[in-house]
Amino acid sequence: MTLALHDSLRAQHGPRAALAELDDAHVVQAFLDGESRAFDELVSRYQARLLNFVYRTIGDRERAEDLVQEVFIRIYRHLHRFDQTKKFSTWAYTIASNLAKNELRNRSRNPLVLFQTIKKHWEADHRPLQFEDSRSRPDDLYHRRHLRDLVEETVAQLPEHHREVFVLRELEGKTYEEIAEITGCNLGTVKSRLNRARNHFAAIIEPHLD
Amino acid sequence: MDCCEFREKYSDFADGLLTHAAACQARQHLALCASCRRFDAALRAGLSALRQLPPISVSRSFSERLKRRLRWELTVRIPVIDRWYGAVGALLLVVTVGFIAFDLADGHGFGGARLAAPTSSSSTRSAGMPMRTVALRPLVDTSILPLDAPHPFQPIMILADTATEPFPAHVRMDVPAVWGGR
Repeated sequence: MTLALHDSLRAQHGPRAALAELDDAHVVQAFLDGESRAFDELVSRYQARLLNFVYRTIGDRERAEDLVQEVFIRIYRHLHRFDQTKKFSTWAYTIASNLAKNELRNRSRNPLVLFQTIKKHWEADHRPLQFEDSRSRPDDLYHRRHLRDLVEETVAQLPEHHREVFVLRELEGKTYEEIAEITGCNLGTVKSRLNRARNHFAAIIEPHLD
Repeated sequence: MDCCEFREKYSDFADGLLTHAAACQARQHLALCASCRRFDAALRAGLSALRQLPPISVSRSFSERLKRRLRWELTVRIPVIDRWYGAVGALLLVVTVGFIAFDLADGHGFGGARLAAPTSSSSTRSAGMPMRTVALRPLVDTSILPLDAPHPFQPIMILADTATEPFPAHVRMDVPAVWGGR
């Protein structure tokens, strides 16, 4: 079925475009059927999304990229064991989430890594001003940049469990059920963590609203 | 609905998960309470700013590094252990453990332990006739043997009074199970 669909698309649009037309489940099946380019397609679909998710969770861009590489290696290694009745994206996010949690756990045990992370943030705070849209008024620019920095800091300040749920919901647009599956929690816990995260987030933003 | 209850149910309210009646109550509270309106506005403004943050993209070397790792994965990786291999392995393990258990229960065990502590003699089962068991042990201390030494169990000493006499028919050699080929 998948092969037939893939072959007909391939005949019409060429190999790369044919894969781009398929949904995740069919791309996975194409890879399992021996189409090695299907894996490249999965990488191109998920690399940026996973990178942003891991980066928002751990707050270190370079390390996030390493972890996303590891996610794809694990996907490659275990794709034959993936339960195809489930969503591929949820599985990929689950792997990414587990790696991010391990990273945070290791970091809390290693003072040197913690120091390097703090130093990196400090350096980011002292970066030169970046010029944005020159047509905007200076106070608007300032306000926008201030709010942007504030929300980034606020997300980073959220407790680890709350942050993960918050990012999955607000930035990745996952449903409660998907978040429960990715984080390995029940629905009640997901709802409660999300509510707390939103309250915490709003409480920090509120004084800066005007 | 008071502010506390509103904040508790805020997440469900924002996601449209409240019942119709509860959602009406929440909307009513929001219309009347300036503090909760500000809270709601703060969350919406914050989320809007968060979603407008420029997404980070992977570095140029990302794909190349990943391909290199995948190539390594293909060449060096240990072959995947299929579930059937696992089942066969488990079966072999069970058979091996069963064999050892059977062997020990039979009273012989493996040579090493039995030989290290030789016993003089004991009566054994036989059809009507009492039998003597002669225990054997290595003549030399195996721990001091060099690696290329001959098999330590070849030179043996018989620990029994009958050693100097020809073996009568009712004496049975109690040899380690591994020697007996079982």
